Amino acid sequence: MRLLRILFRLAWRNLWRNHRRTIIMLGAIGVGVWAMIFMTALTRGMVDQMIVDSIGVLPGHVQVHHPDYQDDPSISNRMLISADDISERLDTGAVKAWASRVRVPAIITSERESRGVTLLGVDPEAEREISFFDYDEVDGRFLTDVNDKGIVIGKKLAKTLETEVGKRVVLMSQDPDNEIADRGFRVVGLYTAKTKAVEEAYAYVGRRTAQTMLRIGDATSEVVFLGDDYRNVDPIYDVAVSAVGEGLSIRPWYDIDTYLGAMLGVMDGFVLVWVVVIFLALSFGLVNTLVMAVFERVREIGLMLALGMKPGSILGQIVIESMLLITFGLAIGNALAWATVVPLESGIDVSIVGDGMEMWGMSSMLYPKLYVSDMVLASSVVLLLGFLASLSPAWRASRYEPVEAITKV
Amino acid sequence: MIRRCIFLIFLLAIPTLGSAEDRDGKSIVRDAINHWRGLSSYTEMTMVIHRPDWERSMTMRAWTKGDKRSLVRVVEPKKDRGNGTLTDDNSMWSYSPKVNRVIKIPSSMMGQSWMGSDFSNKDIARADEIVDDYAHSIVKIEEIDGVVIYDIQSIPNEEAAVVWGSELLRIRQDHVVLQHAFYDQDGELVKVLKTMEVVEMGGRVIAKRQRMNKADEPDEWTEIEVNEVEYELDLKDSMFTLSNLRNPRD
Repeated sequence: MRLLRILFRLAWRNLWRNHRRTIIMLGAIGVGVWAMIFMTALTRGMVDQMIVDSIGVLPGHVQVHHPDYQDDPSISNRMLISADDISERLDTGAVKAWASRVRVPAIITSERESRGVTLLGVDPEAEREISFFDYDEVDGRFLTDVNDKGIVIGKKLAKTLETEVGKRVVLMSQDPDNEIADRGFRVVGLYTAKTKAVEEAYAYVGRRTAQTMLRIGDATSEVVFLGDDYRNVDPIYDVAVSAVGEGLSIRPWYDIDTYLGAMLGVMDGFVLVWVVVIFLALSFGLVNTLVMAVFERVREIGLMLALGMKPGSILGQIVIESMLLITFGLAIGNALAWATVVPLESGIDVSIVGDGMEMWGMSSMLYPKLYVSDMVLASSVVLLLGFLASLSPAWRASRYEPVEAITKV
Repeated sequence: MIRRCIFLIFLLAIPTLGSAEDRDGKSIVRDAINHWRGLSSYTEMTMVIHRPDWERSMTMRAWTKGDKRSLVRVVEPKKDRGNGTLTDDNSMWSYSPKVNRVIKIPSSMMGQSWMGSDFSNKDIARADEIVDDYAHSIVKIEEIDGVVIYDIQSIPNEEAAVVWGSELLRIRQDHVVLQHAFYDQDGELVKVLKTMEVVEMGGRVIAKRQRMNKADEPDEWTEIEVNEVEYELDLKDSMFTLSNLRNPRD
């Protein structure tokens, strides 16, 4: 214990013997660690948002469909399960919100244009929690109940169709017998989404109205359940299974949108790779510094060895010196990252490249996200690899022959 | 036989030729459509599709029975010969001998152009929804050269699958539609079907030449000219079947 204290003191003093070099090294480590954490926070934020947005649009952490719906999202693959049945059987504990809706492809036509859209027949009250836009921010109004005769479309779609609130549009789809099912709707509201693609994709009508138009009685296309965290969907999955029963396909979001699911997995790997890559660049500086520090002190080390210090203590002394350096660097880097990310958490406007971001399904605001786990990961990787990197110069120093070392010029 | 026909037409004409005042818009429109189509009909017509840089024409034969069923078959040009369209109620099928396939026109394609013309598939598949899906009102009655002409404004019902804000029909006392204009919901003219020539054919006074014209592109139009027409034929139901669409037996 005493030995350790002595070694620690020696390392500490050695560290500040050449304080300019130490400060430069601290700066290098600090910037490196900052870059690791900052970039990670940035990409984390991007992916997080992509997933949250996609689930918000998709939406639902756990979704129930007809087994063939994924392959052919048409009206023939509908479920004969009514919303009332589900609400009776539903244990609402883990579920934040749930909704059952009609969801089929349709054509929307105005006087001048027509476009393919996804028709959503929804229950406005149930969707409130799930919807990706705020009902109060809808231009005009959102639907009021399942029997609402109006239609709510995206702003961009309204522009394409050259229509507006108060005008009528025609929705056309197919009923289960492949006959044309169509109906005129008056546009009652325009919603705004984060991306233009979404604004063009969905048209909301009352669920009952949609069911009447498509002549499908009480049937729906999907039931979605939303929990608190998209990373933890197992509890709601169980709830969903017990609520809807057998014969339907019940799947968590990462299973339905495998791209997003894979994205999340890749992200975790990516963080590690990123941290290691930056550290590799850093380690050259670190090892170089340590080698220099040892090289300068060859005679001194020889003297200590000659006075009876054990080679192990020499090794420990140098490793401690490097660990001190790294620890301070980490502290600086983490503090720096925290200080830069937190003010930016309200969002970075990247609308200059917004169109490009949209192609990835992302919005033009970037919200970096600092995870403690990422900071811990980066720090421990740096500590571990820093320890390994400092072993080689330390080992070499501990193996000096005292006589040779003392007489070295 | 001829006398009987004349008598029949006379009979048909009596209720409609009555006093002009107490006729409402809806019945005028219905009569016009019935007049144009008859209980059954056979028409040979030429369709000219005109664009600023090209023009093409095709000759077609069409049969109708009742207000639901119709069959159209292309006779000329040679490369399009045999192309056919069958409609029954709101459904529509098309057949092309080149691919030897009958295709049911999906709802997504109903808004698209029919055979490249300015008519949409929807225009062809259901011409008579205008009677029931609209509220008709007579906006003007005028008399030109002793012929009464009604201007009827037809506004689609709230839930009708019609995108137009209103349609304006100009119908002559003898049921010939002189003009059919489509307005958007701001009251702006979008397209108009104009009758260019009225003659007596097949025992009726009909619009011989009609032109569909988009308002914002005056150089693009489609004209349909009736070359030959016969009414009240005895057409078999088998005429309006998918197998007849594929293998003509006339």
